[in-house]
Amino acid sequence: MRTVYGAIAFAEIAIGVLLVVRMAIGPTVADRIVALNTVCTQAALSVLFYAAYADRSIYLDVALWFASFSYLGSVVFARYLERELL
Amino acid sequence: MAVFWMMDYLALALILVCAGLVVRLRNLNGAVMALSGVGAFSALLFVVLGAPDDAHSEIVVGAIALPVLYLVAIGKARAEVHDSGELDEQPRTRP
Amino acid sequence: MKAVIVIALACVGLGFSLSGAVGILRMPDLYCRIQCSSKTTTMGALPALIALVVGEGVLSSYASRALLTAFLLLLLNPASSHALARAAYKSGVPMWDGAVRDEAAEARHRREQRRRERRRDGSGQED
Repeated sequence: MRTVYGAIAFAEIAIGVLLVVRMAIGPTVADRIVALNTVCTQAALSVLFYAAYADRSIYLDVALWFASFSYLGSVVFARYLERELL
Repeated sequence: MAVFWMMDYLALALILVCAGLVVRLRNLNGAVMALSGVGAFSALLFVVLGAPDDAHSEIVVGAIALPVLYLVAIGKARAEVHDSGELDEQPRTRP
Repeated sequence: MKAVIVIALACVGLGFSLSGAVGILRMPDLYCRIQCSSKTTTMGALPALIALVVGEGVLSSYASRALLTAFLLLLLNPASSHALARAAYKSGVPMWDGAVRDEAAEARHRREQRRRERRRDGSGQED
């Protein structure tokens, strides 16, 4: 069972490679923000499954931080795109 | 144990790719987004290495606060750019 | 039995996450990519989190954090997608060439036309 959790954690973050490619070639800044938001979601899932793999429940809080701070970062960067941050 | 090393090396490789993007991208705002990616992936690496407290502060500081600081600095430094093609940005079509 | 359910749910989640990532990589313009991003969250994250809940039992710290993460993702990710799409539209990110309708521009055009007609009627009554 723990091996299954570890494999899921690895697969979830391996999807991030495709998103990093989009972050590299994205023509506009908003494309990169979309890729970054999805990377944060995948990282939250990966951290949850890695906590189940390593059997340490203290790792779980990092997933909550990932989920909530990807929202905060996305909204702040979007405000910057609208030129309302300055 | 194999999962630990695989996630370790994958997170390290993604951090290296994002750091290379920070150096290589000519669009300054895009480089700041890649810097935020470096923060997110290094937070994941801290979790894999067994330091969730460092991961907390890395998410807050490295993925959000530092890029926002850079964005504010860039926005204040170049408020007027006449030739946006030099910065490798898309032309603005709608007003 | 439990392992089979966990593997099946995780495969569904991973498949949708992979297809969403491929969509983000291959879609022609920004707005389609934002749609693929929300697809990744809704159909890719939720089955994986339900797999964790099933695998560890409902009354465990893993399940509670997984459900809280699912709630946060469901609540916050559409809001951030909407804010991002609005900011991108306002800052003039171009659409795909094959796009057939721009309903925001049509609504703005109708609104301006109505305002112009109202102003003309008002000035006519004054005369």
